[in-house]
Parts: sequence; structure tokens; C-alpha cells
Amino acid sequence: MSGEVLLQTVRAGIEFGGLRALHGFDLEIRRGDLKGLIGPNGAGKTTAFNLLTGVYVPTHGEIRVCGERVNGRQPHQINHLGVARTFQNIRLFRALTALDNVRVACLSDERPVFTRARIDELRRRSSGKSPVAEAMDALNNYVDWWRALLLTPGFQKEEAELTRRAEELLEVMGLSHRRDERARNLPYGEQRRLEIARALGTRPKVLLLDEPAAGMNTREKGDLMVLIRQLRDQFSLGLLVIEHDMKLVMGICEEITVLDHGVTIARGAPERVRQDPKVIEAYLGDSYLASHGLPVPPHAPTSETPVT
Amino acid sequence: MPAALRGLVPVLIAIAVLAVLQVLVGSSPFFVYLASIVGVNVVLAVSLNIVNGMTGQFSIGHAGFMAVGAYTAGKLSLLIKDLAISGLPGVVSDQVQFVGTLLAGGIAAAVCGFVVGLPSLRLRGDYLAIVTLGFGEIIRVIVQNLDLFGRALGLSGVPQTSSLFAVWFCVFLVTLVARRIVGSTHGRSLWAIREDEVAAEAMGVNTTGYKVRAFVISSFFAGVAGGLFAHFVPIINPGSFTFVKSIEVVVMVVAGGLGSTTGAIVAAVFLTLLPEALRTLFLQVGGLDTGASLAQKVDQIRMPVYGILLVILMLVRPQGLFGTREIWDLLPRWLPGTRRGLR
Amino acid sequence: MISDFAQHLINGVAAGTIYALVALGYTMVYGVLKLINFAHGDVMMVGTFLGYGVAQRLGPERQSTLWGVLLVFLAAMLGCAVLGFLIERFAYRPLRDKPRLTALITAIGISFTLSYGFQLDFGPLPGAAPRAFPEIIIPAEWLVIGDRAVVIWNWQVISLAIAIALMLMLQGLVYRTRFGRAMRAVSFDHRTAALMGIPVDRIIALTFMLGSALAAGAGILYAIKDTAIQPLMGLYVGLKAFVAAVIGGIGNVPGAVVGGLLLGLVEEFVVGYSSSSWRDAVAFGFLILVLLVRPGGLFGRVAAEKV
Repeated sequence: MSGEVLLQTVRAGIEFGGLRALHGFDLEIRRGDLKGLIGPNGAGKTTAFNLLTGVYVPTHGEIRVCGERVNGRQPHQINHLGVARTFQNIRLFRALTALDNVRVACLSDERPVFTRARIDELRRRSSGKSPVAEAMDALNNYVDWWRALLLTPGFQKEEAELTRRAEELLEVMGLSHRRDERARNLPYGEQRRLEIARALGTRPKVLLLDEPAAGMNTREKGDLMVLIRQLRDQFSLGLLVIEHDMKLVMGICEEITVLDHGVTIARGAPERVRQDPKVIEAYLGDSYLASHGLPVPPHAPTSETPVT
Repeated sequence: MPAALRGLVPVLIAIAVLAVLQVLVGSSPFFVYLASIVGVNVVLAVSLNIVNGMTGQFSIGHAGFMAVGAYTAGKLSLLIKDLAISGLPGVVSDQVQFVGTLLAGGIAAAVCGFVVGLPSLRLRGDYLAIVTLGFGEIIRVIVQNLDLFGRALGLSGVPQTSSLFAVWFCVFLVTLVARRIVGSTHGRSLWAIREDEVAAEAMGVNTTGYKVRAFVISSFFAGVAGGLFAHFVPIINPGSFTFVKSIEVVVMVVAGGLGSTTGAIVAAVFLTLLPEALRTLFLQVGGLDTGASLAQKVDQIRMPVYGILLVILMLVRPQGLFGTREIWDLLPRWLPGTRRGLR
Repeated sequence: MISDFAQHLINGVAAGTIYALVALGYTMVYGVLKLINFAHGDVMMVGTFLGYGVAQRLGPERQSTLWGVLLVFLAAMLGCAVLGFLIERFAYRPLRDKPRLTALITAIGISFTLSYGFQLDFGPLPGAAPRAFPEIIIPAEWLVIGDRAVVIWNWQVISLAIAIALMLMLQGLVYRTRFGRAMRAVSFDHRTAALMGIPVDRIIALTFMLGSALAAGAGILYAIKDTAIQPLMGLYVGLKAFVAAVIGGIGNVPGAVVGGLLLGLVEEFVVGYSSSSWRDAVAFGFLILVLLVRPGGLFGRVAAEKV
């Protein structure tokens, strides 16, 4: 199933000093998509995620969220536009409870003075740089803090609403029983699920999962596969998953992009990608191909090939 | 109780309690002075805790903001000393002026907090320490060089309109603010920044904005503390607002537990009373000669003791006395305002 | 006019080299430990007092001979190397894997203990009153231009020579020896360095000792220049040297030297052409300006955090 284009990159890339960590990266995530991103270690997968979420500023190319160009915007702004992520090494707020971890992510849409929709519209029209919008936002925040200080009824209602939303998400991820437990005390598998619950708290349109199954056993991975599909349907998301576990990736992803040395070397349905010689070479090397009598493909341009 | 009034109840209770206290002990100048010194330090510690504790930043220039508040409020008071608000009895008019200068001092300090915080909170964490330190020093040098502020001799003659009620009402206010922030989405966001700034940013928290806001609030109260200070000590001069003072407040916050408002209060009270108590003890017991020199020794030995205290604390109990716990976590659930979850 | 300028230039360079020597210690320690060693300036102060003690013992005759001067320097530098080792071993090493804030607080604690501890009038501790550092280099005018318009003193020249010698030795050490390579490896990534077989603990300890020794040397030079020494001098010089290190880009060795020289010059010129009461504010004002324009310092890179 295919819906509107939520996240799109056009030949995006980033350079660190002389190193091209990612180059010519094209991607399209639509509502309902479940795509995978794989590649050997150091291929640039997490770099891609960092680009998509605004942690890195692309040195070339464009990143668009719902058609809006977001190059150079702050990560929290990109998150507000609908992109959420989890991290390769779990980055929960360890001293906070599970409930609070999710509550931090749940931001209210109700703004005290100017509505969020109006501010977003202003921002959109001036491609991200609108002093008026910033001023409106600042005023909103100022009033917000005063509401918290005075414990106004509006504030109390909002808090209750946030708590309710967070509790719902914990329920969906099967973590209700851990509500008041500090995140660092949770077993590993639950921590990973909590990270996903937290990301969902931001009400994203696109969810980027960075190795969600890392460290899980087979049963947990199976459950996760089902869960990811459920989330996609329940929340009408577009999903992009980085994973090393081939079975999981091949099992749930409709399209897989393969990176190596920062460059896309293959893209397509799982079956096709699995048999692509370039992919095999990237993971297993020339010698494997040679010793198995498979043709060694001509070398595709890598980030190290000088570009004229 | 109607939801709309829940917010105000503690304020009313505080006013009542403090008024009683003021009447009971307000006539003993020594006690009032002591309580005022303690109170000011508590305000400083609780406000610094918002930035260093809750938000996990490292600001070591708090005395600079205190100085801004003290000099602004003090100078203002000196200027309007001979004016009075017509229609109000003298005492009331004085107090209104006093509150006005406090607000002015707080706002001036808050503006400084904004100016200092906005560029430096964008940089790496260590840099905030350097910049806040520098700010404190720059303020000291500016004040020392301007006739407007009395240079090294400072300002004298500021009307001593502070009172036990005033100081401890401010203590109450800053504690209330700290607590209400913590129990809100804003407090959770601050803690998230403390725990993992990158993750907080990824979850939609405007980390720079929040850090600056925490910094501004903290500076405001430091300014108010300074303003109070100016109105119960006979002279204010740059020597009261040195780097040493900043570190004293840092010690209080760290010893109490970074992030715990209760800890900050307890540590501030203890660390202010202890040297005072020792000093008084030596003076009483030792008489004028040996007593006085012993009392002086207390002052001298205070600083290296703070130093050693910090080192031992970090090695043995880095979370301080209270860690991140609060005394109100022990309150029964049904009391208004008690929150679950965030610790 | 020109002569004023030239004089300021000379003084600025003289002060700058001292800042540079201390800044080097800051930057090296930050490089390997990612820690701002607030206590560094106070280690310098201890070195100065050690030198003072030795010079006093030698007496006015022997203290100004070549051997005397060497002894003063060596005693101070060795003493501080030991001090640096002890501080690292017992206060910083236990905290190496804790959050950086913890070590920062410890550093401030040590700084206060040393500086205010030395202020106590108690036993071997010197007490707060400033003392005059013995004249281990009998002042003599080395070069006089015009009608005493510009004067360069012998101790300024000797000072500069010693500072440059120390810096060159450090340069050689860091860039041409195995130890230096190991130090740089540890500053990139201490875990990987450990996996490569580098004795990280030992390298860090040696780095500390080296930085502290340099600071002690700078302290003696400072005492020769300013004559008056007192226990709080470490705080002020240390703070400024630290500012210099940050200006140059903290963690960057040549940056520390450039930062130190720049700061010395800027300070000297600002004070020279306005008034000395603004001196303390100059360092920080300059720092804030630099950080606003180049957040990583002049030569630093703002390292992207691995997400």
C-alpha cells in the first residue's frame, strides 16, 4: 500500500573533512511503507539516520519532510514535522521512569496563545526562517511556563492528557507494568521497546528504527517483527529500519536499500537484493564470490573514487 | 477544592506562617540577620540547582548574577530613597519600593542570564563553566571600575528595608517555582536534557531553548537574592560577589545532591550556619583575643575545607546527600500537588 | 609612541610565553582526559613556592649562580611532577569512567584546597601575605634603545629563552617520540589505545607529570618577572592560561602557545592604553569574543558527537 510521500531525500550526502560518509543518497518513504536499510558496518546507515533527523547538516542534496525542505533545521524541529527515531545504542533517559520517558516525548498540540498549526504554516511559507513565528513560539512558551507555575486548570488538564497518552503507548508496547520503574532497571528487550514507545509519543509520521532487534533472542525478534507491522498499521506510519539480522529484514521489509562505503549499491525487493552480487561482495568480499564461482561485478563508484 | 485555587493554597499558607514568624522573632536583629543570610544562600542554592542539577549544566558564575541584582536593586533604592508614594503610610511605601527594586534586580540579572546563556549554551558543556566564570569576573571588574557603583568601596546607605518575612518569602517562592517546574512537562524536559541531550533533542525537546530558559529563571532568582542581600547588609562591595562565593553555592548544590531542591536547601542551611555557629562559639568561649583569632581561623579554614569536601564527596558519594530525591516524595499520595513518576 | 608600542610588545610576549607554558599543561591534560584541570594553576603556585623555598635555602650567594638557578627550577619542576602524579592517581583516576562533571567538581575542589590551604598561617604553609621571590637572576639591562625609551632586561631574555627551550622540548617529545605518539593516541580514543597495547594509565600519569612540571617552570619565570608571590596567584594566572588554551582550541598543542602569546599581547596592550584595573576582564572578554566567532577556538575543531 502506498500513500503520500512523507520523507524524501534527493541525492543527499555529508562529508567529514575529506571523508564522504554518505553520498548521493536517494530515499522515499510513503505512508504505509516498511523499508529496510542494510549494509556492512561503517557503511553509513546511522549517518543516513542522522541526516534524516537533522543531527548532521547535509553538505549536499536535499532532505524533505512532507514536501518541505528541512536542510539545516534543528533536530527537534524536524521531529515536530513528523520524523522520530530510535538509537543504535539505546539512549533512554535512564534515571526517569518508563512513563516519564514517554511523557517527555509527548508534546501537547494545545498551545496557550497561538496554535501550533498557525505557527507551522508561517514557518512553512518562509521555509523555516520566520522571526514572527519564533516570536509567537517564544510567547507561547512564556505563557506555558507561567501556567505550570500557577497550576492553572488548563495546565492540569494538559498534564492529565499527556499522562493518558503516555500510558496508552506503554500499553501498546506491553510495558504498562513498568510504568513507574526507572528506565535503567528495565531488562534489555523492554528497554528497546520503551525506546519505540517514546518515539511514538512524538506522534510521528515516519519512524526510523536503528537496529531495533539488536541483542534480542529469536523469540523476541519474532515478536518484534509482528509488532513493527502492527505499529505501521495502527499508527499509519512510514517505517525505515536499519538491521543486521537478515531474516528480520527480509521478513518484514518490502524494499531494501543496501549501502556500502556511503554509497547505495543496490535497492529493491528482498529477494532481488539477496541475490545481487554487489551485495554479496560487500558483505562477504571478492574471494567468497570467486571461490563460489560467482562473477565478480565491476566495481561501482565508492566514496573513495575521485569524482571528476 | 476547586482546581483553579489549588495553585494558590501553598502561597497563602506560606504568607500566614511567615507573618507569624515575623511577629514572633522579628525584633531580634541578630536572629533576623542570621536568618537572612541563610535565606539568601538558600535562594542561591535552589536557583542554581535548577541549572546545575535539573538541567545538568555546569554554571559557576552565580555570584555574578547575584552582584547584578544587588547593585541594581541597591543603586535604585539609593536613588528613590527620598521619594515616597503618596497616599500610603511610610512603611508600606518603603516596602513597595523595596519590592520594586527587587524585581528590577531580578529582571536585570535575568537579562544578563539571557545574554550570557544564549550563545554559550549552544556550545559544549565545559564551555558554559568557563563563560559563567568569566561573566562573574567581568561583572566584578566593571563594578570595581565605575564610580556609579562605588568602585572598590561599594555602595553604602542602602535603606535596610529587608525583613525576615521578605527573605523567607522569596525562599518559599523559589522553592515553589522549582517544585512546580519539576512536576510539569517542562521539568521532565529539563531532566531529559540532563540525562541525554541528544535523545531529548530527537524527541522534540528544544534543548537550547530549555537550557536558556532554565538559566534565565535561575539568574532571576540569583538577582533577587542579591537584591535582598543589598537591603540587609550595611555595605555591598565587589568583595561579596567573588568567584569564591560562586563556588560556595556550587558546593551547596553538589553536597545536597545535584537535582534535589531539598538537598540544596538543607546543604545551604547547614553550610551557612556551621561557620557562623563556630565563629560565634569561638567568640563567646574564647573571649575577645583568642576567640577572635579562632573565629578568623574559621573563615580562613572554610575554603580549603570546602575544597577537600568536594573531593571527598566526588570520590565517596557523588550523588550528594539526597541524590535526586525530594522530601515531598515521602508525602502521602492524596495531598494536592504530589506527583508520581518523576524523581 | 613607537617606543611605547615596542615596550608593550616585549612585555606582552614575556607575559604571553608564561601563559603559553601553563596553557600547554591545560591543553595536554584536556587532550588525554577531556578534563579541564582547574587545579593546574594552583600546581604552578606550589611550584613557585617550592622554588622559593629552595632559593631561600641556597642563600643569596649561591641562588644566583647557574647551578643555583638550575636547582631552583629542577626542584620546582620535579616537586610539581610528583604533585601532579599524586593528584591524578588519587583524585582523577578513580573517576575516569564517571560523568565528566564529577571530575570537574573534583578539580575545583583540589584547586580550592591548594590555593586557600596555602593561605593558612599554619606550620609549613606559607600564609596569605605576599612574599618577594629571591632574585635568582640579578637584574641587569640587556638592551637599551634610545634614551631608555625601550629597555629589555636580562631576565626577560633568559625567561624567553627558557620558555622557548621548554616548548621546543615539549614539541619534540609530543611529535617525535613514542611517548608522544602514545599520548596523542590516548587523546583520540583511550579505549582503542588501550586495545592497541598502550599503557593508558601510565601515559596519562606521565602527561600529568609533564604538564605540572611545565607549569612549575612557568611559575618560577612568573616569579622572576613579578617578584611578588602569594598563594592565590595560581587562581588568577591559571584562569588566564586556561582562557589562552581555550582560545587556541583546547586540546591543541600549538594552539595553546598561540593562545598564550595572543592573550599576553592583548592584555598588555589593553592595559597599556587604558588602565590596569581592567586587566582581569580582558582575558574573559577576549575569550568570549573568540568563542562567538569560532566556537572551537582558533585551531580547535568542534568534534561531532557520535550519535
